[in-house]
Amino acid sequence: MVEVHLSGVFPRSEKLIDATRAAVRGNLPQAEVDRVLRHDIDSLVGLQVESNLDALVDGQLNWQDLFRPFNQLLTGIDLGSLTRWFDNNTFYRQPIIVEKVSLKSNDLQEYFRSDLLPNAPHKKAILPGPFTFAHLSENRAYSSFSDLVNDLARALQRTVAALQERGYEYFQFNEPSLCAPGRTQPELEIAKHAYETCAHGIGGTSIIQTYFGDASQVIELLLDYPVDSIGIDFYATSIDSLKQYDFNKILGCGCVDGRNSLLESPKELKTFISRAKESLEPVDIYLTPNCDLEFLPQTVAEKKVRLLGETKRLVA
Amino acid sequence: MGSKLFPVQEIGSLPKAPWLLNYLRGKDAGPSDLDHLSKWSKVSGFENESETRTILTKPKDAANQARLRELASIFAIRYLESAGLDYVYDGEENRIEMYEHPVRNSGGFEFYGHVRSFDSRYYRKAACVSKVAFQQAYHLNEFLLIKQHAKRRVKVPITGPYTIAEWSFNEYYQKQRASDYSDLRKLKFEAKRDFVLDVAKQIIQPNLKALVDAGAEWIQVDEPALTTKPDEVPFFVDAYNECTAGLPCKLSVHVCFSDYRLLYPHILKMKNCSQLALEFANRDDEKRSAYDQLKLLNEFGDKREVGLGVADVHVDDIESPELIKNRIEYASKILGDPARIYVNPDCGLRTRSWDVAYAKLTNIVKGAELSRRSFS
Repeated sequence: MVEVHLSGVFPRSEKLIDATRAAVRGNLPQAEVDRVLRHDIDSLVGLQVESNLDALVDGQLNWQDLFRPFNQLLTGIDLGSLTRWFDNNTFYRQPIIVEKVSLKSNDLQEYFRSDLLPNAPHKKAILPGPFTFAHLSENRAYSSFSDLVNDLARALQRTVAALQERGYEYFQFNEPSLCAPGRTQPELEIAKHAYETCAHGIGGTSIIQTYFGDASQVIELLLDYPVDSIGIDFYATSIDSLKQYDFNKILGCGCVDGRNSLLESPKELKTFISRAKESLEPVDIYLTPNCDLEFLPQTVAEKKVRLLGETKRLVA
Repeated sequence: MGSKLFPVQEIGSLPKAPWLLNYLRGKDAGPSDLDHLSKWSKVSGFENESETRTILTKPKDAANQARLRELASIFAIRYLESAGLDYVYDGEENRIEMYEHPVRNSGGFEFYGHVRSFDSRYYRKAACVSKVAFQQAYHLNEFLLIKQHAKRRVKVPITGPYTIAEWSFNEYYQKQRASDYSDLRKLKFEAKRDFVLDVAKQIIQPNLKALVDAGAEWIQVDEPALTTKPDEVPFFVDAYNECTAGLPCKLSVHVCFSDYRLLYPHILKMKNCSQLALEFANRDDEKRSAYDQLKLLNEFGDKREVGLGVADVHVDDIESPELIKNRIEYASKILGDPARIYVNPDCGLRTRSWDVAYAKLTNIVKGAELSRRSFS
């Protein structure tokens, strides 16, 4: 038996795309966009349930990028210019840190739609990791990078606590910057310290999701972080490059490609999971896309969700 | 152009003429469309204003649409010529856009839907589902029309093989290597190389040949995605050499909004490329530090011409002729040879208004003239 989850932002349907475009042009009221959005979320939840996924996400369909909700939820953040999102033809607005950051309130309803997720099996929340958040922001307020990372970690810890009260049990911190080229030992120590804050006291499962980069460069230190699970993008990291390490955590096996429309076969995925298990001997393993599925058209992403479910059946 | 210093060249697309867009969308021309046509016809000396107005009142059938497209091309050529450019095209008035146009006119691709670019902006991304194939010389008719009407020398922009592959999903070439499923990273990397090379061989090479056979003297290969994945820059170099080998015309490469250090040393192996056209103004400051990246060419002994981006295409502020002159002269000092410098906006001006684009272009021309005087 292997658990299966989604690991990021889900693409919008063509109807929601049309609605958001019309709203930008001033041709559609926000209430109508919200109605289509609600339909998309319900549809995604239904698909995950039908595909027998083990932790359900709301798809973050109203998140304009990984950081944008926190421009609203946290103090001290302004919106900056459009910036390329790693090696994708996709862009985010760079957060500009203008004063001390902290969580404004526990009202997270707009961006974490627990109300639309059923109580079983489990609810999964996806958040920016504190290191990536700080690394991709322009810091105009803090005298040291580590102070910014720590304050973001504190804000995220409060966010997690609020989400736990809303029934979330899985907490994934997205950390593509941790496996980007050029990470230094002091930076990785700063990130570790941040996780001692933001993952502290989590009653459920804490996950650091690395993606877009080769995790083998940093995995030795990541395995020492106080989290339950590390997610690996196996389209950027080879299994062999991780073999030498004692994988003392749950492995998020990112082998369904969120950046290519080619559908993997359940048989191929089963073989890959077996190889990852045998080679790395992790505490446990779950199957997941290597990153958000938002880089795919929605119809393709839906097929990938069904594929996850089929693979789960095959592995069982 | 001979020995004229600092020739000014078009680098990419202009905004679409509003009267063309509305006509193609089935809408009647409104007052603002007609004002646009009238204003820029006067400014540019566009000789077909009357015919254009007549067509705008006619049924929107295929023949009228085709003629209006031609008129929009001529309109854009005159706009660029009247701004004073030495090398022109037609602002790509008749291309869907730089990715979709080649992909929709080539074999092997299928569109599944939209993906997000940012916020509520989306684009159509195609999947390569079978071996890519040449279907038609998709810029040929456009080039023949421009060649017939342009009064200045013509440079043809064409989207390069790496950008087409990078902006597409790679299904077919990855499937071909699917037996090697044990290392997904290696699988994806090698399948990408296959894809880029085949786009170059099967699509770009015959398109380039058709343009050269029709008389194209200069073709610019646009590669905005080139440094997206630094370890894949060598794929582009191999692909470029494959599709440009033996072509008897001037060839150049346009790259923008990138870390140019990632291009080196790989691009030194590009054999048939006489100019690198690069964006700088967008990242410039008062110290002209953006142009310090030109030192890379010196560092690696790269003696090619430079298409110098001197106007930022992302802002409406109009660079003064003096600022343009300063940028040109700063770059000249670094390169040590002013004759290697051509001048252009950073990239296509399609996101600016016609007024802003024109003001930027005319100031580039004035700035180049100031520099010319200064050097003479």
